[in-house]
Amino acid sequence: MGRLTLRAVLAVCLLAALAACGPVHAGGAPDPEEIAAREINVVTTIAQIGDVVRNVAGDRVDLVELMGPGIDPHLYRASEGDVVSLADADIVFYNGLHLEAKMADVFEKMQGSVTTVAVTDEIDRNELLNPPEFEGAYDPHVWFDVSKWMSVTEVIRDSFVEIDPEHAQLYEDNARAYLAELEELDRYVAEQAQRTPEEQRVLITAHDAFNYFGNAYDFEVRGLQGISTASETGTADLSGLADFIVEREIPAIFVETSVPQRFVEALREAVAAQGSEVSIGGSLYSDAMGDAGTPEGTYIGMVRHNIDTIVAGLSGRSEGGES
Amino acid sequence: MAQAPATESLATGTDKGSAVSPSRPRDIAIEVMDLTAAYRDKPVLWDVDMSVPAGVLMAIVGPNGAGKTTLIKAILGLVDISAGRVLVGGKPYEQQRRRVAYVPQRGSVDWDFPTTVLDVVMMGRYGELGWIKRPGAREKQAAMEALDKVAMTDYAQRQISQLSGGQQQRVFLARSLVQDADVFLMDEPFQGVDATTERAIVTLLQELRDSGATVVCVHHDLQTVTEYFDWVTLLNVRRIASGPTRDVFTEENLRATYGGRMAWLKSASQTERSQD
Amino acid sequence: MFDLFTDYTLRTVALGAGILGIVSGVLGSFTVLRQQSLLGDAISHAALPGIVLAFLLTGSNESLPLILGAGLAGWIGTLLVRAIVRNTRIKNDGALGLVLSVFFGVGLMLLTYSQSRPDASQAGLDKFLFGQAAALLRNDVITMAILGGVAIVVVGLFWKEFKLLSFDPEFGRVLGFRMGAIDVLLTTLVVIAIVIGLQTVGVVLMSAMVVAPGAAARQWTDRLGVMVCLSALFGALAGVTGALLSSTGARLPTGPMIVLSASVIVVVSLLVAPNRGLLWDRTRSRSSALPAEEVAS
Repeated sequence: MGRLTLRAVLAVCLLAALAACGPVHAGGAPDPEEIAAREINVVTTIAQIGDVVRNVAGDRVDLVELMGPGIDPHLYRASEGDVVSLADADIVFYNGLHLEAKMADVFEKMQGSVTTVAVTDEIDRNELLNPPEFEGAYDPHVWFDVSKWMSVTEVIRDSFVEIDPEHAQLYEDNARAYLAELEELDRYVAEQAQRTPEEQRVLITAHDAFNYFGNAYDFEVRGLQGISTASETGTADLSGLADFIVEREIPAIFVETSVPQRFVEALREAVAAQGSEVSIGGSLYSDAMGDAGTPEGTYIGMVRHNIDTIVAGLSGRSEGGES
Repeated sequence: MAQAPATESLATGTDKGSAVSPSRPRDIAIEVMDLTAAYRDKPVLWDVDMSVPAGVLMAIVGPNGAGKTTLIKAILGLVDISAGRVLVGGKPYEQQRRRVAYVPQRGSVDWDFPTTVLDVVMMGRYGELGWIKRPGAREKQAAMEALDKVAMTDYAQRQISQLSGGQQQRVFLARSLVQDADVFLMDEPFQGVDATTERAIVTLLQELRDSGATVVCVHHDLQTVTEYFDWVTLLNVRRIASGPTRDVFTEENLRATYGGRMAWLKSASQTERSQD
Repeated sequence: MFDLFTDYTLRTVALGAGILGIVSGVLGSFTVLRQQSLLGDAISHAALPGIVLAFLLTGSNESLPLILGAGLAGWIGTLLVRAIVRNTRIKNDGALGLVLSVFFGVGLMLLTYSQSRPDASQAGLDKFLFGQAAALLRNDVITMAILGGVAIVVVGLFWKEFKLLSFDPEFGRVLGFRMGAIDVLLTTLVVIAIVIGLQTVGVVLMSAMVVAPGAAARQWTDRLGVMVCLSALFGALAGVTGALLSSTGARLPTGPMIVLSASVIVVVSLLVAPNRGLLWDRTRSRSSALPAEEVAS
């Protein structure tokens, strides 16, 4: 092509590259007076966090949730659109503890230009589970222990109060009401858990997301895939778990919505090959919540669904083992 | 193995081309009309006419890039042509496949392929077998006979990667012999072979010709044209000349084909003159 | 080792991996001989958009639609490669690389898009990148056996045609065989082999299974039939060994174990195979393989 054309093409490329760099955010916290007059732009990662935000801040926020129902936060990669939303936000809430593993780079870049809050920051590190396979890193699935999620609610409330002091009263009232509901939920779960006989209080799922649940409500928990769905299962893991199920006569195993069904299917086949039988007790919400608009689309609804399903599955046990 | 039409007698292999009288009417083995082939806008063959009578041993000569290999491939339908027609024995080539045997250049295959000499020769019979059918005892027999004609029976089970250049050429020749063909198209059969093999191949080709087959060879060595071939086509994208060697292989034609490499031409035409 | 017979999971996985090894070994022999080793890589990467599209269109993450999607996308990829080679100046390896990267890129894009859909069952597509061998179900193994069996029968039927295609396709054309059709047939079988393997070792690693057994087998023999059988054996060995190794400890992923086993077989073959092995040359004096006649230049 001619010289002139080549230069034109290069110029266009250069402009495009510059444009792609995107708007540079001014950085720093927005002005409180300015914020009080409008909706707050909030971005959250997992929907559990988004649900708390909605309950604490109500109509005061314009909320963007990056990860919807069925999304696996361990594997989620931010798209261009996500990065733009993040850059425009007044405040970003994320879980932390490496749950959103593939977004670490993005959050790092946001430091200094956007206020980011890891909602698990206030939880006492001694209360966090520290499994051996993860050498030094914590298990991030804290939302299954309702009491820890109450701490998260407080963190979110405090963040809003700090950034929008004019409406502090609103946030504190909302938070108080929500915390009361959470406390009620915590009690409910503990009660329901007790309804399952102790020997059968074993929860087997596709990946090790339920350790906090087991810890808080006295369940033994085993998963197939480890802490993160990014790792691959080996045959030893699968057959080892099958042996465990047969040995302990566990009546039901559970599928997770954000993890493929075939693992659990394979587990069931392995157990069947040993002459025993285990049923699929139901589908649990683990890393993601249900569809918006349904009860399972809220944190409280999701937790209730889980415990009800678990109890029903594990209690339906008779001598011969029925589905 | 070529079929022998009743009329021709077997001449013993001589150094001169067989002197069949030019006035005798003959069938046309290969008729090429207005053949044009191009590679990316560059003409490789341009408006080529060629008439090959049955029962001749013909050389196609020309400088590099003259289109010699392309001509052979065009006749065989291996390359796309822009214009022109090819008839074999008066009919389109596709209808006459069984009659035509092809001996490609040695470099056209990877000789490191895991197979034996016998196996390669039997490939010549695949056309007869058609789809799916496996070669059996009959095919093996035919292959061994062909290997006998090229003096390679001892090598039947040898890996082709262990062959010398001359032996590789003989294997390809044997492969063409197992077909019941009476038209042979060969691409540089003497390229890179030792003197003994060359003599043996010439003898074989002349025997084929004498038994009535038509043999066309792309040939690179001007020195030996007169000695080996009774017909010759001079090609340089266009057909410069085509006919009996004694008539066509002249200094003038050679100059027209090669564009003036005097030393070459001098020695070539001297050889030709000394034969008269 | 006895666990191989008593442990259901191990048995299922080993069987599936073994079938995969055999089929990819047989077909891989031909791709190696035709110097198309990159083809396996291209097809398996090209399959990704097919998998995701199949999910997006059918809404199911059952094996069958995803496998069909993978096969279709891989197959279209190969046709595209042929078209590119035929109609442009780009050579075979350039075309393969092009199709590989473009298709895979589109696949990743679709994968990211599918993450944003409010569809709870979408998870699992990621697994196709590296495979999920340990979760092979009985039905999966049956499907693999049937598809693989068909592929091998076809190879047996068209043995001489495939030999011709690999050694001297021009000669085949002259004989009257439709070499283009035979090429498409062989490539289709390779697509089948790869699609079989996607669930076991995944898109990224599958190319190894198509290349390694064939390359290793070539070292040991100069006869095509023996080479293909040996290649099948090596493939099966890699599959079963990988499954076994994965069962010996916790958190040992099966797919990579299989590929590692295959690689070890290749390295050993490169070093110690008689006549062709590198170590063999060093320790033995070379006897001339050529006959007494003069060697042509």
